[in-house]
Amino acid sequence: MRPGKSTTETWAIGRELPSLSKALTQEKIDCYARASGDFNPIHVDPAFAATTPFGGTIAHGMLLLAYLSEMLTAAFGRAWLSGGRLKVRFKGAGRPGDTLTVRGRVERMQDEGRRVFATVECVNQAGEALVAGDAEVRLAGENGDG
Amino acid sequence: MLEKGHRFPPVFFVLDEAAVHDYLEAAEDAALPELCRAQGQAWAPPMAVAALALRGLMEAMGLPPGTVHGSQEFEFRRPVVVGERLASRAWVAHRSQRSGWLALAVEMEVADEAGQAVLAGRAGVLIPQ
Repeated sequence: MRPGKSTTETWAIGRELPSLSKALTQEKIDCYARASGDFNPIHVDPAFAATTPFGGTIAHGMLLLAYLSEMLTAAFGRAWLSGGRLKVRFKGAGRPGDTLTVRGRVERMQDEGRRVFATVECVNQAGEALVAGDAEVRLAGENGDG
Repeated sequence: MLEKGHRFPPVFFVLDEAAVHDYLEAAEDAALPELCRAQGQAWAPPMAVAALALRGLMEAMGLPPGTVHGSQEFEFRRPVVVGERLASRAWVAHRSQRSGWLALAVEMEVADEAGQAVLAGRAGVLIPQ
């Protein structure tokens, strides 16, 4: 099995999850709007968005969660899809031109290492947290019994 | 409307191959295709299931401009196979008012055709008054 694919031997408290970086553009936000069906003008209409407190378009919060989910899929494999839990707060907005980084860290483990608790976040190029929260994965799910 | 306990009409949807392709491209998700190849499966991205369920919910809620999506919780019960027919059901779990905002917590569950839950979630939204 490849490293980072949910073996109980792989994870330990303090270990970082494999981070990802994404360059956010309006084109990508528009692409996500089409894929998700969410055409809220705050995301896709620069003229409208300019009149809001944000002053311009912002990325869908669910797009930022998609980036987090990609990281958790890469880290934990099937266990993320089968028993994974995520609890986050949206703390800021991702904007076109931002470079976003998603990252996480194992904070706690239970059940002989089969339950992993990690903090996760999505930050912009200034280090500002746009999304922050916790993820939980039950590694037993990797074997189909979770 | 939108009182605690209010239940929204169920939303039915399918994540077919084209929809999953478009979602993976939009989210630039390389991890799920790699996992599917390794496991010989055709799974839908869990966050795509969540996004489509949320879209239906937000449409049903008729949220005004300025609404803030403040928090989100998800539990993914099992992988969803591409092409599965799903039903999302949601209800208002909490309602309060503070400083010109209506705060709602809406809980949702997405189930397969057999009625088994594949995803559960809770969204926190702030609606300007």
